[in-house]
Amino acid sequence: MTKGNDFMQHQTRRDFLGDSAKVCGAVSLGALTERGTAQAVPPAMSICRWGGVAEGADAVKTIATRLTEEAVKAVGGMASYVRQGDVVWIKPNIGWNRTPEQAANTNPDVVATLVRLCLEAGAKQVKVGDRPCHPADEAYKNSGIEAAARAAGAEVVLVDENRFRDTALGGERLKNWLLYPEIFESDVIIDVPIVKHHSLATATMCMKNLMGVAGGNRGQLHQDLPNCLADLTMFLKPKLCVLDAVRVMTAHGPVGGSLDDVKQLNVIAAGRDIVALDAFGAALLGHDPTQIETVKRGHERGLGEIDYKKIVPNEMSVT
Amino acid sequence: MSRTGGTGLEAPATKRAKHTGKKHGLWPRSWMQMLRRVSQALFLGWFLGLLFAARELNAGDAERFDHFFFQIDPLIQIFTWFSARTLATFSLLAVGTLLVTVLLGRVFCGWMCPLGTLHHFFGWLGTRFRRPKDRLRAAAWTRAQNFKYFLLAALLVMALFGAHWIGIFDPISLLQRTFGTAVLPALQYALEDSSTAVYQADPQVGPLHATLLTEPAYQFTRDHVFTKARKAFLGGVTIFAVFLGILGLNFFRNRFWCRYICPTGALLGLFSRRPALRLKNDASACKQCDGCLLVCPAGAEPHHPGKYLPTECYACWNCVAACKFETIKFKFARPLRRTTEAKLDAKRRSVVTAAAAGVVGFLLLRVSPQAQGKTYNPVLIRPPGALPEREFLQRCLQCGLCMDVCPTNALHPAWTQAGLEGLWTPVLVPQHGFCEYACNLCGKVCPTQAIQALPMPEKKKVKIGMATFDTTRCLPYAYGRSCIVCEEHCPIPTKAIYFVETEVTLRDGAKPVLKQPRVDAELCIGCGICENKCVFEDRAAVRITSANETRHPQNQPILAGGAFSSVVADSYAP
Repeated sequence: MTKGNDFMQHQTRRDFLGDSAKVCGAVSLGALTERGTAQAVPPAMSICRWGGVAEGADAVKTIATRLTEEAVKAVGGMASYVRQGDVVWIKPNIGWNRTPEQAANTNPDVVATLVRLCLEAGAKQVKVGDRPCHPADEAYKNSGIEAAARAAGAEVVLVDENRFRDTALGGERLKNWLLYPEIFESDVIIDVPIVKHHSLATATMCMKNLMGVAGGNRGQLHQDLPNCLADLTMFLKPKLCVLDAVRVMTAHGPVGGSLDDVKQLNVIAAGRDIVALDAFGAALLGHDPTQIETVKRGHERGLGEIDYKKIVPNEMSVT
Repeated sequence: MSRTGGTGLEAPATKRAKHTGKKHGLWPRSWMQMLRRVSQALFLGWFLGLLFAARELNAGDAERFDHFFFQIDPLIQIFTWFSARTLATFSLLAVGTLLVTVLLGRVFCGWMCPLGTLHHFFGWLGTRFRRPKDRLRAAAWTRAQNFKYFLLAALLVMALFGAHWIGIFDPISLLQRTFGTAVLPALQYALEDSSTAVYQADPQVGPLHATLLTEPAYQFTRDHVFTKARKAFLGGVTIFAVFLGILGLNFFRNRFWCRYICPTGALLGLFSRRPALRLKNDASACKQCDGCLLVCPAGAEPHHPGKYLPTECYACWNCVAACKFETIKFKFARPLRRTTEAKLDAKRRSVVTAAAAGVVGFLLLRVSPQAQGKTYNPVLIRPPGALPEREFLQRCLQCGLCMDVCPTNALHPAWTQAGLEGLWTPVLVPQHGFCEYACNLCGKVCPTQAIQALPMPEKKKVKIGMATFDTTRCLPYAYGRSCIVCEEHCPIPTKAIYFVETEVTLRDGAKPVLKQPRVDAELCIGCGICENKCVFEDRAAVRITSANETRHPQNQPILAGGAFSSVVADSYAP
């Protein structure tokens, strides 16, 4: 319930200070970091590249699992984010009725590894769920996430259209929107997107992935995607983001379908700085992050650092 | 069974013994009645089991759905064979039903038919509500019972002309359609909406919440009984109303539908004119108390020795159980042996009239230009794999199985889109659901292959229509805002929707460059996800019409082939 309390504080401060975006951003950034810093501050971001050899049918699984483990370890380990008895909501991209090879959804082994790490860190309950664009049954099943997460010990939750609640976000653009209470009432939200091409945002990553928490006619949000995503991020405050770039979709996103548009990069980045992670993801797809509106606005709204190199990510090669 | 009936036997003063007038209760009075009820319950349960199984299917399931009830229904099998002029979908199980009928009479109606079972129950209920003095009159045979043979003959003539309208009346189709598109969605809505109301009203204070009970119950029914995304069907109201109507008629006459209308019952009646299993009423012992008549749901005249009507009888055993004097019994005779029993009233004049009615009915269905294939209705979007319209209608049973399995609630029973002939046939309505790219369930479950079971790679190529942009509504054209929702959702791997970046002038003079969407007619398959996901909820700014559908070469305006590239010029520009 701490999240709800923080939100209330955020509201009152915000009302008090007025509508200044900068001040608001600073405050929320404070709220973002104040709880993750128990002891020495761990690195805000890690980038893990696969440097080993993996062969056979399970090659991708091995790569995804190892990279996830190391990326989380490199930002202080899961215990820095998940406390004993926490309820964790892992929010992958399960938007589409597509197979893992088509790289439209988050890699199931990344999700499964995160579930395991959370449970090892003492989480009371780990829930996994997303509001898909395609029929939920099909997307959950064919993405491989339902089976993998369940096997790892998570509760796979169907995001029910009837359980969204009109929620005051108090954002710059989004004052109210239908959000899923079970997600934002969790103690910890872990945002686990896959790096993909997107025709409007150019690239879709951590901030865009939070759209899955929103209900209703969310197509509307595309009319001002940068501000809407910043508002959502400010409200939801994911404690940890894990960027899956084991496979990336380079064109015809976010649905894709053709294996010609999929590239296997074998990279996973993790951290607390959602903007830096998105900037890094955009760079992976060959874009200049400063040219991407959503990342730029995230930086301007004080959600993180667009020049991810400036925060000195913990980079490493994993075998 | 100690029914040696003391008082009745000792009342010889009048020739006619008086029936007790007691209502017949819930508990069966003979083992055969008990057995019949068990059979009815099992078959109804089986039917419902298949219905729920269909709703649980998803596209990964490769095996064909079990069409048992459609296969044992001779009306469906024979009339589809006649109207489609192919034996492709014929099942020999239906011949089995006919053989059973020749031997045992209409046991299909009395012991198996799930709709018959519902009518049986409501008929019993109706009897209990009926005033005693009306009961005898309501139970007796009337000439109107011949209407069903009349209807059967008319439908036969129509089927021979190629008009397949039996799905409207066939009991299996009717029940499947009613439960799938009306009863179950209504039940689910009731459960869902009430639990949502509790969920929203729960103040969440203290340790005890109503939701602790309602939420697990709701989630269980959602995940294991109903569909995860609740469905609602256009026209479900009419289908529900028809169903309630025919159930209600049981309060007028016992098993009204089965006695007066059901063409499947009529067909089986024709095959049970001289069955092996016959009711014998011993005229010398019968006290004419009319006790058997009172409980006969079929109007089969068990109380007139020598006038019993095997064509009407469901072999339900009510009369045997009710007879206090044990003068009525089912006995086996050599099948097809002539009897003195009353025959089906089939005079030449009635047959000719029925045939004429069939011709008129056929003409009625074919009066409109669309029915004659002269025009194409833009909103008549058929599921992928649907045969060309005429052949489709010659097979479709209006059973609604495809609508039941469609994961996005895209298929709805047609009301006017397909003309009178296509009433309640499946039509895809993108406003309510889209054709999921990686799904071919509708073809897999179609009992008559009106929708072909296409392998997935082929299904993905079938065009069911084409998208068209309404540039007077689409945001980047009409309102100067960016929006890419249609393109984002387009499932074609190389995208059938593409953008032309265009500079527009806003009211304040600003000139942003916006991505205006266009349709690539070569690639678009008309799945409708663009229309479904468009930000306009009332009338989407991109809409599917049936144009370019694979099944009708005449309805394809776009010349195929790479010689012409799609329009990129600013012909849309304001």
